[in-house]
Amino acid sequence: MSDAALKTSSAGFPSLVTVLRAEPLLWLIAAIIVTGAITSEYYLTGQNIENLLRSVSVFGLLALGMTVVMLTGRIDLSVAATMIFSIVVAVKVMVLLGDGLGLRWLVKGNTYAGPSMPFLAIAIVTGCAVGALNGIGIAYFRIAPFIMTLVSLTALRGFNYVLTDGHPYYLRSPVFAFVGDQVVLGIPFSTLVFLAVLVALILFVNGTVAGSRFYAIGGSERAALYAGVRTERFVVLAYMISGFCAALAGILFTARLKSVDAPLASGYELTAIAIAVIGGTALSGGVGSPWRTLLGSLVFASGLNLLAIWGIGTWYQNLIVGTVLIAAVALSRIGRPRASS
Amino acid sequence: MSAVGDTNAARSAPAIRRPVPFRAQIGGLSRIAILLLLVLTAQLVTPSFLAPANLQVILMAVAAIGVMAIGMTLVVIAGEIDLSIAGVAILACVLGGILIPTGSPVLVIGVTLLTGLVLGLINGILVAGLRIPSLIATLGMLGIARALANIASGGQALYPESIGPYVWLGRGTLLGLPVPVLILLALTILAIALTRFSIFGQALYATGGNVKAARLSGINVAAVRIAVFMLCGFCAALAGMLDSARLSYINPSGFEGIELSVLAVTVLGGAALSGGKGTIIGTLVAALIIGVVNNLLNQLGVSIYLQQVAIAAVILAVVLPDALKRESGK
Repeated sequence: MSDAALKTSSAGFPSLVTVLRAEPLLWLIAAIIVTGAITSEYYLTGQNIENLLRSVSVFGLLALGMTVVMLTGRIDLSVAATMIFSIVVAVKVMVLLGDGLGLRWLVKGNTYAGPSMPFLAIAIVTGCAVGALNGIGIAYFRIAPFIMTLVSLTALRGFNYVLTDGHPYYLRSPVFAFVGDQVVLGIPFSTLVFLAVLVALILFVNGTVAGSRFYAIGGSERAALYAGVRTERFVVLAYMISGFCAALAGILFTARLKSVDAPLASGYELTAIAIAVIGGTALSGGVGSPWRTLLGSLVFASGLNLLAIWGIGTWYQNLIVGTVLIAAVALSRIGRPRASS
Repeated sequence: MSAVGDTNAARSAPAIRRPVPFRAQIGGLSRIAILLLLVLTAQLVTPSFLAPANLQVILMAVAAIGVMAIGMTLVVIAGEIDLSIAGVAILACVLGGILIPTGSPVLVIGVTLLTGLVLGLINGILVAGLRIPSLIATLGMLGIARALANIASGGQALYPESIGPYVWLGRGTLLGLPVPVLILLALTILAIALTRFSIFGQALYATGGNVKAARLSGINVAAVRIAVFMLCGFCAALAGMLDSARLSYINPSGFEGIELSVLAVTVLGGAALSGGKGTIIGTLVAALIIGVVNNLLNQLGVSIYLQQVAIAAVILAVVLPDALKRESGK
């Protein structure tokens, strides 16, 4: 598989072939939207588009972080657990501060009513710290990425329950209401956050020398190392970006729900991988881009939304998602030179 | 498989690979030492630990996950991964369970195991025939099989207690030992024979170790891959049946997340996700390590969620020395 990746990803930027491969996704998105508009009078209503954009934002953020990690030829299974963990830690730190400083009004019972900015900062720092730990374990201690992030996933899910005692915490503050519900010029605020991260990542990954290192490492790690790239640092950076995206996704997700609960978002890591792969990101590394991950998340969210509008049951939706995932990858393989593996 | 395998190994790749069995044996020995140490600690902390009743509890808890882990080990040795085991187990049990009204144990058990084989075959064809990365193929299969299980059962649980032999598989005893434990033992012996003493075993390690070399030496790589996925599907269905029989309850939404626990056991047992490495004994010992840790923590009244954290720590503690050894040997 790695040989195939070498052949298709000689440069740091998507080649013509990969760009062409991205095109069908645009057609697919258009087809889904047109079908939706024709078959349902509710598909193109403002409310539905808002819902769609909100789900694109959360899943898209997770998938963006996953894309950067996958570009280096690695994987991050801990994103969904990190997403909830960063919020839980923020709540818990504020509870401890409240107890320590006698500021009981910060958290009343299970309702957080304190200031939002320190809360959000703690959540983001936690996400980055989890990413850094993953990255250090993988880059410096040479633990296989799948195992390291599986360990994080297991441990963080455990911590989420232990820290919350299995009870939900409610988040009450104007900032959460704004982040979760505000619509600016017809676009939900959470989508603007997602778009900002997307643009920043496109500029960084596809527009800077440092960003192109991710492709280099994924294409051939040894070549990158011999060319003088400090591969360890970039691997840690990739996982920190993933942790950052996860924490941000957690903020958008819980701000919408106005609550956080340990079992939330379980299994989202697999959705994030699926979106990145639908967007053309190669599991073997070196191929993919944030832009095409956006297309992947649009396909995913608009397709699921359409199925929901049609009133198709959750289980049939899952059936279709699984089939589409396999079909998308199978189609992308047709016409490629036969891989050695 | 390099996305999930250790890409780090690529850096030391030019170095000669040591023969697999020797290293694996060393790894296995150190794990057995860890297991014995854990058992000793457990006996010191809770005097009733080595009581036959408690040992039976541990073995019963380990049986289903052990059976699944044996199948997963074969897949991982071949350099692939199977995330679909939970879906396969459930769909197999549900399709078998739908035949409960016929009252025929042969039909119920037969259809359950056959479904496992067929789903494994489909996984194998997707991976070996259509060249879809196994992570994606089996992830898709997980969603599809789970969905089909719920559609077929209408989301309702099925109750197999009217099928005597079925329930016996989960609750019966033979020669004073619980049947699930005997099945795990029998499967372990079969799998050891298959991996260590058969031509298939050689082809398996060769395929996982170096696909190109395996192909050039005339091994039918596609057939090996399809075979391991079928065996893994069979093990998943069997394990699902053991659990459903023990509980007399076929739950169409059960086994949530079991694939990650099974993978953890497999990796703890010394199998490398990059392929070509791993032993059945190692996996069995790893399953016992997890079983002993869980049992001890249960007896100490530690919350199930902290146990999760403890298991994560154990995995890290076992994997880290291996990883560092690889580093220093660079």
